[in-house]
Amino acid sequence: MIVGTQKPMEEIWEMIKSYKKVLVFGCNTCVAVCHQGGNKEAEIMASMLNMHAAQEGVEIEIQHSGIERQCEHEFFEPAEDTIAGVDAVLSTACGIGVQFMAEKYANTPLFPGLDTCFLGAVDEHGVFSEKCQACGKCVLGETGGICPVSRCAKRILNGPCGGSTNGKCELSKDLDCAWQLIIERLTALGRMDDYEKLAELKDWSFDRAGGPRKFIREDIQV
Amino acid sequence: MSSQTIAEKKDTDSVEIPRDIPEGWSPTILAFACHYCAFAAADLAGVMRLSYETNVKIIRLPCTGKLDHIYVMRAFERGADGVFAAG
Repeated sequence: MIVGTQKPMEEIWEMIKSYKKVLVFGCNTCVAVCHQGGNKEAEIMASMLNMHAAQEGVEIEIQHSGIERQCEHEFFEPAEDTIAGVDAVLSTACGIGVQFMAEKYANTPLFPGLDTCFLGAVDEHGVFSEKCQACGKCVLGETGGICPVSRCAKRILNGPCGGSTNGKCELSKDLDCAWQLIIERLTALGRMDDYEKLAELKDWSFDRAGGPRKFIREDIQV
Repeated sequence: MSSQTIAEKKDTDSVEIPRDIPEGWSPTILAFACHYCAFAAADLAGVMRLSYETNVKIIRLPCTGKLDHIYVMRAFERGADGVFAAG
Protein backbone atom coordinates (compact mmCIF):
# COMPACT_ATOMS: atom_id res chain seq x y z
CA MET A 1 0.00 0.00 0.00
CA ILE A 2 0.96 3.64 -0.27
CA VAL A 3 2.26 5.22 2.92
CA GLY A 4 2.03 8.94 3.62
CA THR A 5 2.39 11.22 6.62
CA GLN A 6 0.29 14.25 7.45
CA LYS A 7 1.82 17.59 6.61
CA PRO A 8 2.46 19.93 9.55
CA MET A 9 -0.72 21.81 10.48
CA GLU A 10 0.91 25.19 9.86
CA GLU A 11 1.74 24.23 6.27
CA ILE A 12 -1.83 23.03 5.72
CA TRP A 13 -3.25 26.18 7.28
CA GLU A 14 -1.17 28.42 5.01
CA MET A 15 -2.57 26.60 1.97
CA ILE A 16 -6.23 26.83 2.89
CA LYS A 17 -6.67 29.93 5.04
CA SER A 18 -7.67 32.26 2.20
CA TYR A 19 -10.72 30.17 1.26
CA LYS A 20 -14.15 30.53 2.81
CA LYS A 21 -15.39 26.96 2.56
CA VAL A 22 -12.93 24.09 2.63
CA LEU A 23 -13.56 20.37 2.45
CA VAL A 24 -11.11 17.99 4.12
CA PHE A 25 -11.54 14.93 1.97
CA GLY A 26 -10.33 11.51 3.10
CA CYS A 27 -9.28 8.49 1.10
CA ASN A 28 -10.18 5.34 2.96
CA THR A 29 -7.84 2.82 1.36
CA CYS A 30 -4.01 2.90 1.57
CA VAL A 31 -3.53 6.04 3.64
CA ALA A 32 -6.24 4.91 6.05
CA VAL A 33 -4.15 1.82 6.85
CA CYS A 34 -1.29 4.02 8.03
CA HIS A 35 -3.81 6.17 9.98
CA GLN A 36 -2.91 9.37 8.15
CA GLY A 37 -5.44 10.13 5.46
CA GLY A 38 -8.52 7.96 5.97
CA ASN A 39 -11.99 9.38 6.42
CA LYS A 40 -11.55 9.30 10.19
CA GLU A 41 -8.25 11.18 9.99
CA ALA A 42 -9.88 13.70 7.63
CA GLU A 43 -12.57 14.32 10.24
CA ILE A 44 -9.96 14.84 12.96
CA MET A 45 -7.93 17.14 10.71
CA ALA A 46 -11.07 19.18 9.94
CA SER A 47 -11.73 19.50 13.66
CA MET A 48 -8.16 20.68 14.32
CA LEU A 49 -8.41 23.23 11.50
CA ASN A 50 -11.75 24.47 12.84
CA MET A 51 -10.16 25.07 16.23
CA HIS A 52 -7.17 26.75 14.66
CA ALA A 53 -9.46 29.02 12.64
CA ALA A 54 -11.34 29.96 15.84
CA GLN A 55 -8.08 30.78 17.61
CA GLU A 56 -6.83 32.84 14.69
CA GLY A 57 -10.19 34.60 14.42
CA VAL A 58 -10.53 33.63 10.78
CA GLU A 59 -13.99 32.96 9.38
CA ILE A 60 -13.71 29.76 7.44
CA GLU A 61 -16.10 26.84 7.19
CA ILE A 62 -14.32 23.53 7.29
CA GLN A 63 -16.27 20.45 6.32
CA HIS A 64 -15.14 16.87 6.17
CA SER A 65 -16.02 13.94 4.00
CA GLY A 66 -14.32 11.06 2.27
CA ILE A 67 -14.61 8.19 -0.13
CA GLU A 68 -13.11 4.76 -0.39
CA ARG A 69 -10.61 5.62 -3.12
CA GLN A 70 -9.61 8.90 -4.73
CA CYS A 71 -7.86 7.34 -7.71
CA GLU A 72 -10.96 5.97 -9.52
CA HIS A 73 -13.84 7.89 -11.07
CA GLU A 74 -16.58 5.55 -9.84
CA PHE A 75 -15.96 6.20 -6.17
CA PHE A 76 -16.59 9.95 -6.43
CA GLU A 77 -20.29 9.72 -7.24
CA PRO A 78 -21.65 10.03 -3.66
CA ALA A 79 -19.40 13.02 -2.96
CA GLU A 80 -20.07 15.05 -6.12
CA ASP A 81 -22.47 17.51 -4.45
CA THR A 82 -20.22 18.00 -1.44
CA ILE A 83 -17.23 18.79 -3.63
CA ALA A 84 -19.28 21.12 -5.82
CA GLY A 85 -20.37 23.09 -2.75
CA VAL A 86 -16.93 24.15 -1.49
CA ASP A 87 -14.27 26.69 -2.52
CA ALA A 88 -11.30 24.37 -2.05
CA VAL A 89 -10.51 20.78 -1.18
CA LEU A 90 -7.79 19.55 1.13
CA SER A 91 -7.30 15.96 0.07
CA THR A 92 -5.74 13.53 2.50
CA ALA A 93 -5.13 10.99 -0.24
CA CYS A 94 -1.69 10.14 -1.59
CA GLY A 95 -0.22 12.16 -4.44
CA ILE A 96 -2.11 9.98 -6.89
CA GLY A 97 -5.49 10.83 -5.38
CA VAL A 98 -4.71 14.55 -5.21
CA GLN A 99 -3.68 14.63 -8.87
CA PHE A 100 -6.64 12.54 -9.91
CA MET A 101 -9.00 14.98 -8.20
CA ALA A 102 -7.16 17.99 -9.63
CA GLU A 103 -7.75 16.63 -13.13
CA LYS A 104 -11.32 15.61 -12.40
CA TYR A 105 -12.33 18.92 -10.81
CA ALA A 106 -10.42 21.39 -12.94
CA ASN A 107 -12.06 24.46 -11.35
CA THR A 108 -11.68 23.45 -7.72
CA PRO A 109 -8.42 24.34 -5.96
CA LEU A 110 -6.90 21.14 -4.59
CA PHE A 111 -4.31 20.89 -1.82
CA PRO A 112 -2.45 17.91 -0.39
CA GLY A 113 -2.88 17.14 3.29
CA LEU A 114 -0.21 14.46 3.23
CA ASP A 115 3.36 13.98 2.14
CA THR A 116 3.31 10.73 0.20
CA CYS A 117 6.30 8.68 1.30
CA PHE A 118 6.61 5.18 -0.13
CA LEU A 119 5.10 1.82 -1.11
CA GLY A 120 5.27 -0.26 1.99
CA ALA A 121 3.98 -2.95 4.28
CA VAL A 122 2.68 -3.02 7.84
CA ASP A 123 5.55 -4.74 9.64
CA GLU A 124 3.72 -4.53 12.92
CA HIS A 125 0.97 -2.33 14.34
CA GLY A 126 2.11 1.25 13.76
CA VAL A 127 5.28 0.34 11.86
CA PHE A 128 5.35 0.78 8.11
CA SER A 129 8.37 0.13 5.95
CA GLU A 130 9.28 0.54 2.32
CA LYS A 131 9.23 -2.68 0.33
CA CYS A 132 8.88 -1.76 -3.35
CA GLN A 133 9.95 1.05 -5.66
CA ALA A 134 7.82 -0.04 -8.62
CA CYS A 135 10.95 -0.34 -10.77
CA GLY A 136 8.97 -2.11 -13.49
CA LYS A 137 11.14 -5.25 -13.71
CA CYS A 138 10.80 -7.41 -10.62
CA VAL A 139 13.90 -9.27 -9.43
CA LEU A 140 12.34 -10.91 -6.37
CA GLY A 141 12.50 -14.32 -8.05
CA GLU A 142 16.29 -14.19 -8.06
CA THR A 143 16.74 -12.58 -4.65
CA GLY A 144 14.75 -14.90 -2.43
CA GLY A 145 11.77 -12.55 -2.18
CA ILE A 146 13.75 -9.65 -0.73
CA CYS A 147 14.05 -6.56 -2.90
CA PRO A 148 17.51 -5.03 -3.32
CA VAL A 149 16.05 -2.16 -5.37
CA SER A 150 13.89 -0.78 -2.57
CA ARG A 151 15.66 -2.11 0.49
CA CYS A 152 19.30 -1.54 -0.42
CA ALA A 153 20.24 2.15 -0.19
CA LYS A 154 22.47 1.79 -3.25
CA ARG A 155 20.01 -0.41 -5.17
CA ILE A 156 22.87 -2.73 -6.12
CA LEU A 157 22.09 -6.08 -7.67
CA ASN A 158 25.12 -8.33 -7.13
CA GLY A 159 25.70 -8.74 -3.44
CA PRO A 160 26.41 -6.35 -0.57
CA CYS A 161 28.72 -3.35 -0.75
CA GLY A 162 31.61 -2.72 1.62
CA GLY A 163 29.38 -0.78 3.97
CA SER A 164 27.56 -3.86 5.20
CA THR A 165 28.61 -4.65 8.79
CA ASN A 166 27.16 -7.35 11.03
CA GLY A 167 24.11 -7.49 8.81
CA LYS A 168 23.42 -3.76 9.04
CA CYS A 169 23.69 -1.01 6.46
CA GLU A 170 26.26 1.75 6.90
CA LEU A 171 23.43 4.29 6.76
CA SER A 172 22.07 3.24 10.13
CA LYS A 173 22.61 0.53 12.68
CA ASP A 174 18.85 0.02 12.69
CA LEU A 175 18.71 -0.64 8.96
CA ASP A 176 19.13 -4.22 7.79
CA CYS A 177 21.49 -4.80 4.87
CA ALA A 178 19.14 -6.10 2.18
CA TRP A 179 21.86 -8.27 0.70
CA GLN A 180 22.60 -9.84 4.06
CA LEU A 181 18.90 -10.75 4.28
CA ILE A 182 18.98 -12.10 0.73
CA ILE A 183 22.01 -14.29 1.42
CA GLU A 184 20.48 -15.59 4.65
CA ARG A 185 17.26 -16.42 2.87
CA LEU A 186 18.93 -18.06 -0.12
CA THR A 187 21.04 -20.10 2.31
CA ALA A 188 17.94 -21.20 4.18
CA LEU A 189 16.33 -22.19 0.90
CA GLY A 190 19.45 -24.05 -0.24
CA ARG A 191 19.69 -21.74 -3.26
CA MET A 192 23.09 -20.13 -2.77
CA ASP A 193 24.07 -21.28 -6.28
CA ASP A 194 21.67 -18.59 -7.53
CA TYR A 195 23.64 -15.98 -5.60
CA GLU A 196 26.70 -16.76 -7.71
CA LYS A 197 24.84 -15.93 -10.92
CA LEU A 198 25.63 -12.41 -12.08
CA ALA A 199 22.60 -10.19 -12.46
CA GLU A 200 22.52 -8.54 -15.85
CA LEU A 201 22.53 -4.78 -16.19
CA LYS A 202 19.11 -3.63 -15.08
CA ASP A 203 16.99 -1.90 -17.67
CA TRP A 204 16.01 1.26 -15.80
CA SER A 205 13.84 2.45 -18.70
CA PHE A 206 11.01 0.51 -17.03
CA ASP A 207 11.59 2.60 -13.91
CA ARG A 208 11.15 6.38 -13.75
CA ALA A 209 14.12 6.78 -16.13
CA GLY A 210 11.72 5.97 -18.96
CA GLY A 211 9.40 8.83 -17.96
CA PRO A 212 5.90 8.52 -16.50
CA ARG A 213 4.57 5.03 -17.08
CA LYS A 214 1.25 3.80 -18.34
CA PHE A 215 -0.37 0.38 -18.55
CA ILE A 216 -3.29 -0.21 -20.89
CA ARG A 217 -5.57 -3.26 -21.06
CA GLU A 218 -7.36 -2.70 -24.35
CA ASP A 219 -9.56 -5.76 -23.83
CA ILE A 220 -11.24 -4.30 -20.77
CA GLN A 221 -11.54 -0.74 -21.98
CA VAL A 222 -15.07 0.55 -22.47
CA MET B 1 11.84 8.24 5.49
CA SER B 2 12.88 6.79 8.85
CA SER B 3 10.41 6.31 11.67
CA GLN B 4 12.46 8.76 13.74
CA THR B 5 11.93 11.49 11.16
CA ILE B 6 8.20 10.89 11.20
CA ALA B 7 8.10 11.03 15.00
CA GLU B 8 10.06 14.31 15.03
CA LYS B 9 7.64 15.79 12.55
CA LYS B 10 4.69 14.90 14.80
CA ASP B 11 6.10 17.05 17.61
CA THR B 12 5.48 20.17 15.53
CA ASP B 13 1.87 19.22 14.93
CA SER B 14 0.22 21.50 17.50
CA VAL B 15 -2.38 24.03 16.45
CA GLU B 16 -2.65 25.53 19.92
CA ILE B 17 -1.78 29.18 20.42
CA PRO B 18 -0.74 29.84 24.05
CA ARG B 19 -2.91 32.49 25.76
CA ASP B 20 -2.78 34.25 29.13
CA ILE B 21 -5.12 32.76 31.73
CA PRO B 22 -7.69 35.30 32.98
CA GLU B 23 -8.22 35.73 36.70
CA GLY B 24 -10.98 33.66 38.28
CA TRP B 25 -11.05 31.33 35.32
CA SER B 26 -11.90 27.72 35.93
CA PRO B 27 -11.57 25.03 33.29
CA THR B 28 -14.49 23.10 31.87
CA ILE B 29 -13.65 19.45 32.15
CA LEU B 30 -15.48 16.63 30.42
CA ALA B 31 -15.26 13.18 31.91
CA PHE B 32 -16.04 10.23 29.68
CA ALA B 33 -16.90 7.48 32.10
CA CYS B 34 -17.52 3.79 31.56
CA HIS B 35 -21.03 2.74 32.65
CA TYR B 36 -19.73 -0.31 34.48
CA CYS B 37 -16.95 1.14 36.61
CA ALA B 38 -16.14 4.86 36.65
CA PHE B 39 -19.72 5.99 36.16
CA ALA B 40 -20.87 3.54 38.82
CA ALA B 41 -18.20 5.00 41.10
CA ALA B 42 -19.52 8.51 40.44
CA ASP B 43 -22.99 7.23 41.20
CA LEU B 44 -21.76 5.77 44.45
CA ALA B 45 -20.10 9.09 45.29
CA GLY B 46 -23.50 10.70 44.85
CA VAL B 47 -25.17 8.15 47.12
CA MET B 48 -22.48 8.88 49.71
CA ARG B 49 -23.27 12.62 49.38
CA LEU B 50 -19.71 13.37 48.30
CA SER B 51 -19.37 16.53 46.27
CA TYR B 52 -17.09 17.47 43.44
CA GLU B 53 -16.48 20.63 41.44
CA THR B 54 -19.32 21.68 39.17
CA ASN B 55 -17.02 22.37 36.28
CA VAL B 56 -16.60 18.62 35.74
CA LYS B 57 -19.31 17.25 33.46
CA ILE B 58 -19.70 13.50 33.22
CA ILE B 59 -20.69 11.75 30.01
CA ARG B 60 -21.60 8.11 30.39
CA LEU B 61 -20.33 5.69 27.80
CA PRO B 62 -21.32 2.01 27.57
CA CYS B 63 -17.56 1.34 27.73
CA THR B 64 -14.50 3.58 27.31
CA GLY B 65 -13.81 1.47 24.24
CA LYS B 66 -16.62 3.52 22.71
CA LEU B 67 -14.54 6.69 23.09
CA ASP B 68 -13.65 7.76 19.59
CA HIS B 69 -10.93 10.27 18.69
CA ILE B 70 -13.52 12.59 17.32
CA TYR B 71 -15.48 12.74 20.62
CA VAL B 72 -12.38 14.23 22.23
CA MET B 73 -11.83 16.61 19.31
CA ARG B 74 -15.46 17.75 19.39
CA ALA B 75 -15.20 18.38 23.13
CA PHE B 76 -12.28 20.76 22.60
CA GLU B 77 -13.90 22.26 19.51
CA ARG B 78 -16.97 23.16 21.57
CA GLY B 79 -15.01 24.77 24.34
CA ALA B 80 -13.98 22.09 26.83
CA ASP B 81 -10.61 22.85 28.39
CA GLY B 82 -9.82 19.33 29.42
CA VAL B 83 -11.06 15.81 28.85
CA PHE B 84 -10.49 12.71 30.84
CA ALA B 85 -11.49 9.16 30.21
CA ALA B 86 -12.24 6.92 33.15
CA GLY B 87 -12.89 3.25 32.77
